[in-house]
Amino acid sequence: MNLNLKSIIESLIFISREPLTFEKIKSILNEIPDKEIETAISELIRTYSSQDKGIKITKTGGGYLFITKTENDKWIKRLLNLEKKSKLSPAALETLSTVAYHQPITQAEISSLRGVDSTHALKTLLKKRLLKITGRKKSPGRPLIYRTTNKFLIYFGLDSIKDLPSNEEIEIILGEEENHE
Amino acid sequence: MEAINSYQVKLESFEGPLDLLLFLIRKKKLDIHDIPIAVITREYLKYLEKKEHINLEHEAEFLLIAALLIYIKSQLLLPRETVPEEEKDPRQDLVNRLLDYQNIKTACSILRKKEKDQMQKWQRSFLPPMPASDELEFLEVSLFDLAEVFFSLMKKKERENVKLIKGKEYSSKEKTEEILGLLKKNDFLDFLDFFNKHQYIDEAMLSFFCLLDLIKNRIIFAVQDTLFSKIKVWLRKESAA
Repeated sequence: MNLNLKSIIESLIFISREPLTFEKIKSILNEIPDKEIETAISELIRTYSSQDKGIKITKTGGGYLFITKTENDKWIKRLLNLEKKSKLSPAALETLSTVAYHQPITQAEISSLRGVDSTHALKTLLKKRLLKITGRKKSPGRPLIYRTTNKFLIYFGLDSIKDLPSNEEIEIILGEEENHE
Repeated sequence: MEAINSYQVKLESFEGPLDLLLFLIRKKKLDIHDIPIAVITREYLKYLEKKEHINLEHEAEFLLIAALLIYIKSQLLLPRETVPEEEKDPRQDLVNRLLDYQNIKTACSILRKKEKDQMQKWQRSFLPPMPASDELEFLEVSLFDLAEVFFSLMKKKERENVKLIKGKEYSSKEKTEEILGLLKKNDFLDFLDFFNKHQYIDEAMLSFFCLLDLIKNRIIFAVQDTLFSKIKVWLRKESAA
């Protein structure tokens, strides 16, 4: 069999609405060695990183996805007739980041870490599907347990939860802020 | 330093009491691991006093931390008859909370940058569904949405004050078949309508569980046209065949 892997994978990623995982690609192309798929993917990514391409392949939420180039943002907005996408509110972002670092976590634990009641922010984030309820904690009152979703990863362009800002990154920023004053 | 002192920062601009405390620690250049409680309490209360009245609904948490600061100070002042070995610094819990919060806050600033960056990149599925075309775009609803609608409906039913006189036995198998039968006949069910037709709460509960079971087994699925609109239940094509 002489398949043009690069071209097949390109079509698969193109047609996917969600990030296409390596496992998925593998299961579709069955019996092709991992190594060959890996090579094809990295060649594909290289092709798309060329200066004159308007779209790129990115690894986010555990899979591959086509996205437009940052520089073309304003033209796309013109096409879609959109001013800008709305940002998360400070309370929502703080709640989201609390969950991201301390998951699995309950509402009471989030509120205690933030020092403020977080019920409203949690509701917003559930509606936006950036958080999900994954069960109940085996403690008095059996409170609900929250976790971040794959959509959360995609929203911030993270490949996995390991790509959250690390302690080192946080330390650097804290150090900078101190020097600033 | 003068500049920082002179500008007014309102209580509303802080995410919460911990945010305010961190701000004050920075402003006064205090060591977070060794906070002079008297200084920080004085500064903190200054901010609370600036407010004409505290909105208990939203600002009670600020008072809670004020009380905690005063409590810690009292702990530090009180003479002890016996000094327990390895006595814990009464400030330790607060310091730990502040450090945790400081990390979250800093991570937020990094995530905010990533959010901004991501917003300039577009993905095909984010495109608004093309108008016209008889094929509608649906959002698949989560268990959370279903339960929310179901419970609001049950609350309404409760108010109708139905008295249950005799219990009727319902079987989940019959109920499941009834739902499937309806779906085959009507294409889709309106989630709310379907439950409204039930006279008794126990029957409605059973229907709800059957429905969840069918969704779990991927025989049917629940969708809505847009957020907050009517939830419709459809038979999955592949299972209908």
